[in-house]
Amino acid sequence: MTNHWIDIINTDVAMVMGSNIVENHPIASKWLTRAKERGAIIINCDPRYTRTSSFADIYCKFRSGTDIAFVNGIINYALENDFINKDYVLDYTNASFLISEKYSFNDGLFSGYNNDTRAYDKTFWAYELDGSGLPKKDLSLQHPRCVFQLMKKHFKRYDIDTVCQITGAPKDIYEKVCRTYTSTWAKNRVATWLYAMGTTQHTHGTQNIRSYSILQLLLGNVGLAGGGINALRGESNVQGSTDMGLLFHLLPGYLASPTKADQTLEDYKKNNTPKTNDPKSANWWGNYPKYITSLLKAWYGNNATPDNDFGFNYIPKRSADYSHISLFETMYSGKIKGLFLFGQNPAVGGPNTNKERKALDKLEWMVAVDIFETDTSVFWKRPGVNPADNQTEVFLLPACSSIEKEGSVSNSGRWVQWRYKAVEPIGESRSDLWILDALHKAVKKEYAKDGVYREPILNLNWNYGNGAEIDFHKEPDVHFVAREINGGFVQSKEVMILKDLKSFKKGDQAPSFATLQDDGSTSCGSWIYCGSYPGHTPEKNNMARRKKKDAVNNIGLYPEWSWAWPVNRRIIYNRASVDLTGKPLDLKRWVIRWNETTLKWEGDVPDGPWPPNDKYPFIMKPDGHAWLFAPNLNDGPLPEHYEPLESPVENYLSSQQVNPAVKLWYKINPEGNPVGDVTKYPIIGTTYRVSEHWQAGAMTRNIPWLAELVPDVFVELGYELANQKNIKNGDLVVVETARGSMDAFALVTRRFQPFHLNGKIVHEVGIVWHFGYSGLARGDSANLLTSHIGDANTMIPEYKAFLCDVHRKEGGAA
Amino acid sequence: MKALLIDSTRCIGCRACQVACKEWNELNAEETTFFSGKGYQNPPDLSPSTWTLITYNEVEVNNRFDWVFGKMQCFHCNVPACASACPVSALEKTEAGPVIYHASICLGCRYCQLACPFKVPRFEWNKIIPEITKCTMCADRINAGMEPACAKVCSTDAIVFGERDELIAEAEDRIRKNPTFYIHHIYGKEEAGGTCVMHISNVPFNEIGFDTNIPMDPIVSKSSHAMKPIPYVLTGLGLVLGGVSWVVNRKKELEKETKSGMEG
Repeated sequence: MTNHWIDIINTDVAMVMGSNIVENHPIASKWLTRAKERGAIIINCDPRYTRTSSFADIYCKFRSGTDIAFVNGIINYALENDFINKDYVLDYTNASFLISEKYSFNDGLFSGYNNDTRAYDKTFWAYELDGSGLPKKDLSLQHPRCVFQLMKKHFKRYDIDTVCQITGAPKDIYEKVCRTYTSTWAKNRVATWLYAMGTTQHTHGTQNIRSYSILQLLLGNVGLAGGGINALRGESNVQGSTDMGLLFHLLPGYLASPTKADQTLEDYKKNNTPKTNDPKSANWWGNYPKYITSLLKAWYGNNATPDNDFGFNYIPKRSADYSHISLFETMYSGKIKGLFLFGQNPAVGGPNTNKERKALDKLEWMVAVDIFETDTSVFWKRPGVNPADNQTEVFLLPACSSIEKEGSVSNSGRWVQWRYKAVEPIGESRSDLWILDALHKAVKKEYAKDGVYREPILNLNWNYGNGAEIDFHKEPDVHFVAREINGGFVQSKEVMILKDLKSFKKGDQAPSFATLQDDGSTSCGSWIYCGSYPGHTPEKNNMARRKKKDAVNNIGLYPEWSWAWPVNRRIIYNRASVDLTGKPLDLKRWVIRWNETTLKWEGDVPDGPWPPNDKYPFIMKPDGHAWLFAPNLNDGPLPEHYEPLESPVENYLSSQQVNPAVKLWYKINPEGNPVGDVTKYPIIGTTYRVSEHWQAGAMTRNIPWLAELVPDVFVELGYELANQKNIKNGDLVVVETARGSMDAFALVTRRFQPFHLNGKIVHEVGIVWHFGYSGLARGDSANLLTSHIGDANTMIPEYKAFLCDVHRKEGGAA
Repeated sequence: MKALLIDSTRCIGCRACQVACKEWNELNAEETTFFSGKGYQNPPDLSPSTWTLITYNEVEVNNRFDWVFGKMQCFHCNVPACASACPVSALEKTEAGPVIYHASICLGCRYCQLACPFKVPRFEWNKIIPEITKCTMCADRINAGMEPACAKVCSTDAIVFGERDELIAEAEDRIRKNPTFYIHHIYGKEEAGGTCVMHISNVPFNEIGFDTNIPMDPIVSKSSHAMKPIPYVLTGLGLVLGGVSWVVNRKKELEKETKSGMEG
């Protein structure tokens, strides 16, 4: 989230698209309720009428997988009617920047495309630079190659009629959505965009978010209270896990994981540190060398020295795609021997589950760490499999639950909240931290005896206060971990902060990442968390703060409740919430303002301390401007509509049916990856969750009270389709795709309505994906139906749109 | 007098209240299949182990399709028909608001079930010593200075706990501020002489599962004296039926054990 949960109350218009906030973030809907009662209009766009729709003022249906067409249409509506915040667009975005003559767009393809590699040469989309290396600009926004004009041309094709033919949205309601949402271009009106997995889990998921961002920037809604681009994270601490580097291409703090191009630390710094010739650009990532060096010092301590490049080559180099689908394709081919699963259940949650379960069969060993026996941990006795035929050695380690251990949880709004142990762990269960600590100690012991390239293991800095030996009764001290993540000085150092010289002693905790160094004098486990624990005692643990006092601007920031990264900033890009003189664009819910007397900012922690207009507001971009035109993505600088891998219609706009930059697994590894055709599978399928169950279900399908509420897997379908197929509510039906089939109970409802697409009527059905063959409440997994195809940038699987067929199961009346 | 105000326009149907009720009152989960009621509704009805239930109603309001959630539970009448029908005062209206039940003096006659205009009390047919069951408004929590479990967990404040007259004022205020949205009626303000569980809604109450033919006067059983001997007869019948139910359930349990034994 650019903003945070409580901030939703400040909005005038809340768009919920690609999220079912009410069902999947029920606690958070409290803030949406407050916003609504203060007069905000809630818009919900979804293929299905959900519990969120029932809560919304405007509901607009649209077909799964057509988000880009839908939102590009709103962008076009804003551009055509001049419903844009022009000052904001001019001052704070790259609208005026000129793009290279090599840029073009034709029939769904951007210039620079290579058919053989299915990849773009992104230099075709670069800025045109002037003599001093700065992007050329046209502040009149009239130059045919300025971003603004290129956008006008690109989005013009998304007129309302075209959008409705593609998406199946009813024209009158769609127009109302366009009108209502773009009304927030006015300086005293603001809109927030709330999205989740309904947005990301597509072959064009990243570009879905791009379209939201472009719209929000045109309307001037980023950086303001009640605005922003807000990802509702799918799990309570998934924000924390990505902050700590749990994505395959990242180290903690969103630093890139090294590749083969980074042979030395110097190479790595050079390849990753952006440069600018513009003195007004803060170019915050220019500090990259400080963050990577401090991270290496945290990991390797005294063993990280300038002589060994601070242990840079101890970190493995990324040489392949380690995303979920790719890993399971590799596992299926027999190249992966072992698998650790911490709270993950891919036998239910992975796409194309038939294939992924077979991939698990190829493992020599598996370790599953969970609070219940998961479907994955008993994959060897799944239905239709003889356990005697399976050779995998499986270990199930009992983990304790969140209330049985102490630590931090980072929510979607980047608030890092400390929580305490409420009860002792049950039986032999232990915290993930204890399990990892014990694992480390055992592995280190083995490497101490013998092994290949032992230094990365033996030189690891590892002391969490519970002794050198594994002791079942001694938990590692989680405060040691938190303090290491915050970081501090490993040698005494004088540091210049703005105009003040501050001296730090060896052993001091760092107060903020502005003090981190690239010479090895500081260590820091994740630079964005620097400041979360700036002392040695629990009283200095900012994450544990619980003061209920609001900030001076009274917009619900509560700066002394927990701690938010970065540097306790609650609304990021907040320098865009003021004009060039530091005066808030929106006076009644201002975020920051410049005090002419004290010459200081007031309100939220600003994006950097510089006076107004000293620096551009989007400090994480090398040019300091928000990117309406983004020349760094794999599938194009502007969002373009493509159909999902499996679609009932041809692309209405171009001959490019599917995102041209996605990896086609069905071509790379045809075995187990069939693609369905509309003649055999004419119905759109999608998957989702319900309030009553959690993800792959291990935590909820084993709770009798929750199993009582939703005991069985079900498919929701509309009356028209049900009549055609002679299906009645409660019938047992079979849902089938090219990859698999499943049984489910039919829930016939008015909440699914057919789509009228360019003269064709298409039906959509939806299935809850929580179920599997293990636990108390059991049922077939919806992911038996989904496929191995992912987004062009993130590789997240396309769970949300596929083709299927539905029919009554013979003798299956309930 | 304490009361609950339930605003269906704030309810998101998450059912945290249903689970919290079972958790606080230590009620068993029921064995359900698919959705035995309307929409996502489960279990199908109130029962000895389900004291509150969210109903899912697909309705049409002002030509717009909508999905509205209702909450079923004991209304805790100001003058409860159940208590007046009870020959031994096993049901009692407390000063604090809740209508509570004293199992130790209950005869098991089930007059209360027949008397209740909202058809709320449920009888434990499958127990050897059956009791009447219903929502207690968490009287134990209220006595300890806490709010009922359902109100405590409600994330959108669709369920609000407080003084009855203050809640009526709050409900009237909400309706006054949004007159085109709400139905101009507080269900439970007058019904059956007034209740401690009150509802406001943006759809007609009969469309979300409420009986709109309830008289506005207290429903007091006038014939309780004449019917005094009958409880003992009914109790006898109840014991027989209870016995039958026990045998049937025991058989089901045994079948289940055999089945799971086969699954290994």
